[in-house]
Amino acid sequence: MAFRSPSLAMLACRLALLGGIAVLLLAPWLFDSEGLAVLTQFLTLLVLALMWNLLAGYADIITVGQHAFVGIGAYAFYGFAALAGVNPYAAIPLAALVALVAAVPAMAIVFRLRAAYLAVGTWVVAQVFMLLAGKLPGFGFGSGVSLPIAVAQAFGTDPAGRYTTIYLLALGLAAVTLISTWLLLRSRIGIGLTAMRDNEEAAGALGVNIVRARILCFLWTAPFLGLAGAIITLQNLRISPPASFSIIDWTVFVIFNVVIGGIGTLEGPILGTALFFVLRAYFSDLGTWHLIILGVLSIVVILIEPRGLWGLLRRVLPGDLIPVSHRRAAAAGAVRAAPERFEPQPPA
Amino acid sequence: MIDTIANVLLQGILLGGLYALFALGLSFSMGVMRFVNIAHGDFIVLVSFLLLVLTTALGLNVFVALILVLPVTFAGGFLLQRFLLQRAAGSDVLLPLLITFGLSIIIQNGLLQTFGADSHVLAGAGTLQTASIALTSGIYIGVLPLLTLLTAVALVLGLDRLLNYTRLGSHIRAVADDVAAADLIGLSSGRVYALAMGIVGVTVAIAACFMGLNMNFDPTSGPDRLLIAFEAVVLGGLGSLWGTLAGGIVLGIAQTVGAHFDTAWQLIIGHVVFLVLFLLRPQGLFPKY
Amino acid sequence: MVITPSAPLLAVEKLSVFYDQFRAVDSVDLTVTPGEIVSIIGANGAGKSSFLKAIVGQGGRVAGSIRFDGQDIAAWPTSRIVGAGIALVPEGRRLFPTLTVEENLRLGWDVGRRGGMTAEEVFDLFPMLREKRRVPAGQLSGGQQQMVALGRALLSDPRLMLCDEISLGLAPAIVNDLYALLEKINRRGIGIVLVEQDISRALNVAHRFYCFLEGRVSLAGVPRATGRETVMKHYFGS
Ligand SMILES: Nc1ncnc2c1ncn2[C@@H]1O[C@H](COP(=O)(O)OP(=O)(O)O)[C@@H](O)[C@H]1O
Ligand SMILES: [Mg+2]
Repeated sequence: MAFRSPSLAMLACRLALLGGIAVLLLAPWLFDSEGLAVLTQFLTLLVLALMWNLLAGYADIITVGQHAFVGIGAYAFYGFAALAGVNPYAAIPLAALVALVAAVPAMAIVFRLRAAYLAVGTWVVAQVFMLLAGKLPGFGFGSGVSLPIAVAQAFGTDPAGRYTTIYLLALGLAAVTLISTWLLLRSRIGIGLTAMRDNEEAAGALGVNIVRARILCFLWTAPFLGLAGAIITLQNLRISPPASFSIIDWTVFVIFNVVIGGIGTLEGPILGTALFFVLRAYFSDLGTWHLIILGVLSIVVILIEPRGLWGLLRRVLPGDLIPVSHRRAAAAGAVRAAPERFEPQPPA
Repeated sequence: MIDTIANVLLQGILLGGLYALFALGLSFSMGVMRFVNIAHGDFIVLVSFLLLVLTTALGLNVFVALILVLPVTFAGGFLLQRFLLQRAAGSDVLLPLLITFGLSIIIQNGLLQTFGADSHVLAGAGTLQTASIALTSGIYIGVLPLLTLLTAVALVLGLDRLLNYTRLGSHIRAVADDVAAADLIGLSSGRVYALAMGIVGVTVAIAACFMGLNMNFDPTSGPDRLLIAFEAVVLGGLGSLWGTLAGGIVLGIAQTVGAHFDTAWQLIIGHVVFLVLFLLRPQGLFPKY
Repeated sequence: MVITPSAPLLAVEKLSVFYDQFRAVDSVDLTVTPGEIVSIIGANGAGKSSFLKAIVGQGGRVAGSIRFDGQDIAAWPTSRIVGAGIALVPEGRRLFPTLTVEENLRLGWDVGRRGGMTAEEVFDLFPMLREKRRVPAGQLSGGQQQMVALGRALLSDPRLMLCDEISLGLAPAIVNDLYALLEKINRRGIGIVLVEQDISRALNVAHRFYCFLEGRVSLAGVPRATGRETVMKHYFGS
């Protein structure tokens, strides 16, 4: 790092974050359809990363099955919009609702398993959902089906307008996901989970029921994953079990992104997902090598710094970019307040 | 009718023998090292490809190739544990999980890169794959599935003896009981874990041989094998090798019965039976811990 | 002034033990000569267990030197240290509950110097263990478990035994037996470091003692030559 002081580095990070937000807000004017499509993918993957991180980084639920809820969201959206004839805009929140409902029975199984068993357990559940989706009449069985033109056109009659609408939906979803998750983590429940994760005895003293908090988090992620599934379907214009329930696209990449970026922070998933898109821009023609490189990179990163690239940066930076814990925020406040004590007393 | 039922059950039991072979190594590592190797299925597939190369390129009999491969997979397991997985031991579950997850993706894509996406089957065992024994007029037992089941039983017996009647076995059980205590008295857990993972490597090679003989495999077959293996271990009860064998057989029967009614439902029925049995009896059939 | 009669078996110099930044043991000097019983007393948290674990290469990060029989063992792995003849009887016994009594004992032999006592000789010392040899150690009473823990250490044929609070949670009669046994072991020429919270017991059997206070040696001496008040003062700090 070429920065001479930590606060300069912090400033640079803040500027990068603000710059990124500005670019995202102005994107419809800055980019063509192709660029917007890539940004839409970025935002949906960011939502998936934030959700996986909420579970694995805070709620101690390491899932390898989150693609299930993406797929359920996709199929539900198709079902409402294409089969039931519901207004396509209304079909999006309905897809979230279906994902939430599906999370309830999944929870019964998942929460009886602990730790690593839970991980494979979620995978089995996801596998069952995927196989069942391939048996649904009306959804094209194993090979899937395209979204009717009418549904797509409800989001814009010309492709350019449609890309913009879908992009704005994805941007809204990402913003809502990020802000609500941030608020959740700063709530008493989130503080309890963070304390629990950091093995602090305070966890019990905070009076947070950890089991209930974990259940809340699990249910919390389902609708967001379902919404992401709906937007992904809008973008790809088709559903199929292997694509809508793709473990590689919606779970493997996501885990790598979060791990490389930094698990258990809010900055990590953002950094990891952004890096993923930068790498993909350069390595897209590498095919399978792309995944091999990501796999090696994630193993190397966690062996060097289990808190990922953000963990490495955090050694230089004086604080979080997006502070989650009140304690740390309070500590930062105390540092800022401290010099006041040494201010010369105003003359009487 | 009776014949049909008996036949379906019998074929299910035989299929279960294969599933138990997939699961025994995983059961061993879950019971001893208390971690789930996400790449377990991919290791099996990787060794199947190794056997494929040995049998096709060198024209070896598949069982000769297996014997040649055993020391390699033992060393592979040992070194993997010693130099990679051990670095994550003692930390929370996340690290080993993510490392083996990364390995899984690396193996799958490495195989895709090297062998392409085609599926393969192992040959080179003469008429073994086609021979069968007629029990009654309607019931045939394939010699290969029977040999597979017998191998699974022999492997359970062997692992059971190793664990309970050898010095290494008592060291492995001690480390599984209390790693920190083992380290305190100078029984270095790293070495014991590495040896245990070497043993897992041996079981992986045996599983790979019989998988390749019994069914098609391609570079992405690993996760399905992992899920079956995991289900067999959980159904059987953690830490019980005989339980794992039983779990594999339950899954084999469930799938064969499902396939009898509609082949398209074979996999779903297997998973659903697992989930239902798990909800009814989360501790498994023969829990040890 | 303590006069050490012969070349020390164990010579610890300026040993510190750290857990992250926290210094649990602070520049401790300590020696044990062959055939000596040395007690370490000190309040809870004084650093006694950390000190013993550091000698066998476990626990926190260490600084300083640990010489055993003239060799610097501070950087050795535990298995090598135990193989050279130091056995730890850990705090809380730390048996392997699903292994049988006999298997637990054999582990001592496996990690040790491969000589000295056999399991049968341990059963001669603790006759009540003989009939329990095939019972999982987790099913034994606390006193019996402590016997197995001592036996396990003995089977490794140690020249130095480090015993961490072997009397904890046991009935006084059993503790008497264990202490009688320690003296018997000691008469075979095995050096013993005895960590105890029970001051009078520890001082009764010891040739010399060290008192730990907040990681430092606050007092060292010969029990008979040291007044009770002096010990108490350095035990609690003043
Ligand atoms: N694994 C550990 N990590 C952090 N601190 C430890 C650890 N073990 C012991 N300590 C601390 O080191 C100090 C000394 O502990 P210990 O050696 O167990 O003392 P004693 O055996 O005299 O009761 C205590 O303050 C204890 O909290
Ligand atoms: Mg202690």
